[in-house]
Amino acid sequence: MIDVDALEPGQQLPTFSREGTFQHWNRFAAVNDEFAEHHMDDEVGRHEGFSSAFIMAPMEHAYFHAMLRDWMGEAGRIVRVDMKLRNPLLRGRVLTAGGQVTAVHREGDEVVVDLEIWEDDDTGTRLAPGTAVVAFAAPRRASAPPA
Amino acid sequence: MITDEMRGILGKAMATATSFPIAESDIRKWAVAVYYPEVPPPLFWDEDYARTTPFGGIVAPEEFNPMGWMTKEPRPTRKEAPRGAYEAQLGVTPPVFKANMQSQVRVTYSGVRMRPGDVIRSTRRITDYFEREGRMGLQLYTTIALELVNQRDEWIKTLETVYVRF
Repeated sequence: MIDVDALEPGQQLPTFSREGTFQHWNRFAAVNDEFAEHHMDDEVGRHEGFSSAFIMAPMEHAYFHAMLRDWMGEAGRIVRVDMKLRNPLLRGRVLTAGGQVTAVHREGDEVVVDLEIWEDDDTGTRLAPGTAVVAFAAPRRASAPPA
Repeated sequence: MITDEMRGILGKAMATATSFPIAESDIRKWAVAVYYPEVPPPLFWDEDYARTTPFGGIVAPEEFNPMGWMTKEPRPTRKEAPRGAYEAQLGVTPPVFKANMQSQVRVTYSGVRMRPGDVIRSTRRITDYFEREGRMGLQLYTTIALELVNQRDEWIKTLETVYVRF
């Protein structure tokens, strides 16, 4: 459970990792009706300038969501996730998503948290930098006891 | 690559769709795919558990796509391989390209969650074009915004995807 009062810039989120295999990608293709051949055929990936088939962008986006949910639990809500695709996760590599708190501020009844997020592969290549915003219900303050 | 005809369709609804009611199994399978090989959070598949949460029942992961397969409207037709010729849906000649990839994905959520039984309506628009030289030559960047609302006209999310065609 997140201690909302203790949130501060610089805090690191637990990472989320998944292998880049057809076992993973074909499951996502099946639920998102996403069968572009560069996600399913190394030769097509090479034709487009990469060394193999590569992951679907919506799946990388979903991995960011999973990483945020694993950190927040059910107490938080995702407000925004912005992902730039710099390099694709190639088949056979491992993706790791991470994040860091960059700002915390109160908006009405919520504590809003700005985050820098990223996905890297196991060679250290930055796949997808990005930003995210999440929000938590602001903790209720105990009222002062009567004088 | 960007013509006046293409600029003329910016912001216009180029496609609308209505989902079939979301089934629990749609949500469950999405969650299994995203979390594979781990077990997804029970909020997405265990109704007994989900009833004990502030959500009061199963909800879909935020990124869930209720339009992935067949839609109620438009009625299904023979599947054609996607070609990225978005402009053709508004009667505009699309640019010539060999490949189409996504370069940026950004989404904004209202906090309204998709639940089993919800019927979702989507509207798709081209909202921006720009060009840039890349390693494969001149590249056309096209932003497509997809807005989802539920059967109560509650806004759920807007997903903006920037495609690069070259």
